[in-house]
Amino acid sequence: MANVDFRAVTKSFGAFTALHGLDLSIKSGEFVALLGPSGCGKTTTLRMLAGLEFPTTGDIIIGDRRVNDLAPGERDIAMVFQSYALYPHMTVAENMAYPLKKRGVPKADRGPMVAKTAEMLHLTALLDRKPKQLSGGQQQRVALGRALIRDPKVFLLDEPLSNLDAKLRSQLRAELIELHRRLGRTMVYVTHDQLEAMTMADRIAIMEGGNLQQFAPPAEVYARPANRFVAGFIGTPGMTLIDGALVQDQGRWLFEGDGLRLDVPALVAGASAGPAAFGIRPEDVHIGRGDLQGEIVLTEATGHETIVTVALSAAVRVVARVPGTPSLRIGERVPVGLDAACAHIFAAGPHGVRLNHPSGAAGADETDNIAAPLRVASKGVVS
Amino acid sequence: MMRKFLGPVVLNVFAWTTILAVAFPLFWMLVTSVKPQSELFRRPPTMLPESWTFEHYWHLLSQTNFLVYFRNSVMLSTVTTLLVVTVATLGAYSLVRFRYRGRESLAFMVLFTYLLPSVVLIIPLYLMLVSMGLSNTLFSLVIAYTTFALPYALWLMRSFMAGVPDDLEYAAMVDGASRMGAFVDVILPQLLPGIISTALFTFILSWNEYLYALVLVNSDEARPLTTGVMNMLISSFNIEWSLLMAASVMMSVPLIIVFAFLQSYLTRGFGAGAVKG
Ligand SMILES: Nc1ncnc2c1ncn2[C@@H]1O[C@H](COP(=O)(O)OP(=O)(O)OP(=O)(O)O)[C@@H](O)[C@H]1O
Ligand SMILES: [Mg+2]
Repeated sequence: MANVDFRAVTKSFGAFTALHGLDLSIKSGEFVALLGPSGCGKTTTLRMLAGLEFPTTGDIIIGDRRVNDLAPGERDIAMVFQSYALYPHMTVAENMAYPLKKRGVPKADRGPMVAKTAEMLHLTALLDRKPKQLSGGQQQRVALGRALIRDPKVFLLDEPLSNLDAKLRSQLRAELIELHRRLGRTMVYVTHDQLEAMTMADRIAIMEGGNLQQFAPPAEVYARPANRFVAGFIGTPGMTLIDGALVQDQGRWLFEGDGLRLDVPALVAGASAGPAAFGIRPEDVHIGRGDLQGEIVLTEATGHETIVTVALSAAVRVVARVPGTPSLRIGERVPVGLDAACAHIFAAGPHGVRLNHPSGAAGADETDNIAAPLRVASKGVVS
Repeated sequence: MMRKFLGPVVLNVFAWTTILAVAFPLFWMLVTSVKPQSELFRRPPTMLPESWTFEHYWHLLSQTNFLVYFRNSVMLSTVTTLLVVTVATLGAYSLVRFRYRGRESLAFMVLFTYLLPSVVLIIPLYLMLVSMGLSNTLFSLVIAYTTFALPYALWLMRSFMAGVPDDLEYAAMVDGASRMGAFVDVILPQLLPGIISTALFTFILSWNEYLYALVLVNSDEARPLTTGVMNMLISSFNIEWSLLMAASVMMSVPLIIVFAFLQSYLTRGFGAGAVKG
């Protein structure tokens, strides 16, 4: 059991800086997901933790020990490589026994440990095969087995489910959650799949462009995105973000943009008038009731719900999530309500910080989204 | 319809003609070596000898320096092969895995050896070896052969090395191996086909080399088979055909054994998937 700390870690490859001062404190026994778009520095972060890449500046701590200068083998970690990296000339059993052998586990003890791990991952029948005689999913489980056979301080998993079919993926996701609960080890899990991060992690570290954007539990990341990037990145379909400005009108704060004038709730202290963005999640947009009018542009029925895109004006389209398959026609004009209490206000720019307090209710009631529709102060076009 | 049959037929005829053209001299060598002297120049020539004799072989083994030359060749080729394979494997590992200044240019510079004809290199090399006190030794030939086998071997191993995924080595290191341990446990087994190709190439090159051996070594103690046999059996007045053919047969045997032994290794190992593609 060990905590993991990144302290002001930067990483440059020549002139290119892949990581700009990462500060990340992972608690002992915590399951942390590193989530972000391709090229944001997730793998780089993990590889530095594993000792396969060296930080340009900053310190990496595992279990209160600075590990910057320790070789990978001395860090007491186990890693699942995104590429599996199975040893082709060894059988499944030999692959799984290799870390034990390298750490001086007596030969007599290795057999039972391999058998136990293989059973857990349903690999018992495959122990004598070579990696190339296995399917992708089986290889993946061997890679997992080679890591899980040990009892290291920290498990590192780099997109370990990325190449599996949906069924196997959800099956292994459940197995990993169960495993983490049973072993209670610190786990760092790299993924660009937000569903994996949301369902598995205790906390999610969202990264972008080599910067940590937010580090918080899944529910908070969803309900209270720290900045505009996180707001747009988390959630499918994504949050609707409308650019405009915050204005003060007779002591009340309003958001004006693209012909809309909307009340904004609970601004943080220190928010000032100026350019800003207004965000609203699909489940906080109501179709069929509300003070706005919109035209249905697109409906996407998935069975249990329908994703509806409505144009409020020529420039503003909002996405709504409606349970079931309501009968809505393209081109139909319908009343639209935006749930004021659940709105998210961000400062201008792609990484503009959050400017209002959340209701805390966002996302909690997907099916029952009856809440006070946002009062619309004025529908006049703002110049 | 006609074309469908004609294609394979033409192909087969072509293939068999080629095989015959290559194999016939070998066959003739074998046949000549067991013909008695009297039958050698008979016209028309006999395809198969009327009477068999192994006297030429016996003569070579008992009356001449053949065994000394043979031992020299074996030692020379083996040591050169070991040296070249070791240096090329480690060198390729360095060129592919580490980043340092001049890495690429270094790899290209070794190829300069091949830009010059060996005749040009041979005199300076000879003078250098003499000044090192190595003239007329087997070791001087080991060094000389290494100079022209190594560049190609390095490039061969480099391409094999580049085909081994980094992650394999990293995985071994995470699993607790040192860098050297990871190299031995995981990289070397992946390189085996490359190592065998390189070893074959070097061994054959050293075994058949003539020019350097002719110039650099001038004593029977250190002469390899190529120059030894030539020196012994070919003079300005006479060529001992039967002995020459018998010697040639015996010279080919080690290569045939090496090939037969290594061929299965050479094809095995190729295409073994290491990481997901
Ligand atoms: N060895 C390297 N040399 C130069 N640049 C590198 C190197 N390794 C990574 N980078 C760069 O660093 C950035 C972060 O790479 P990294 O592999 O950490 O991304 P990632 O978040 O894992 O992305 P993905 O989801 O695609 O795997 C990328 O822009 C990448 O091009
Ligand atoms: Mg990655």
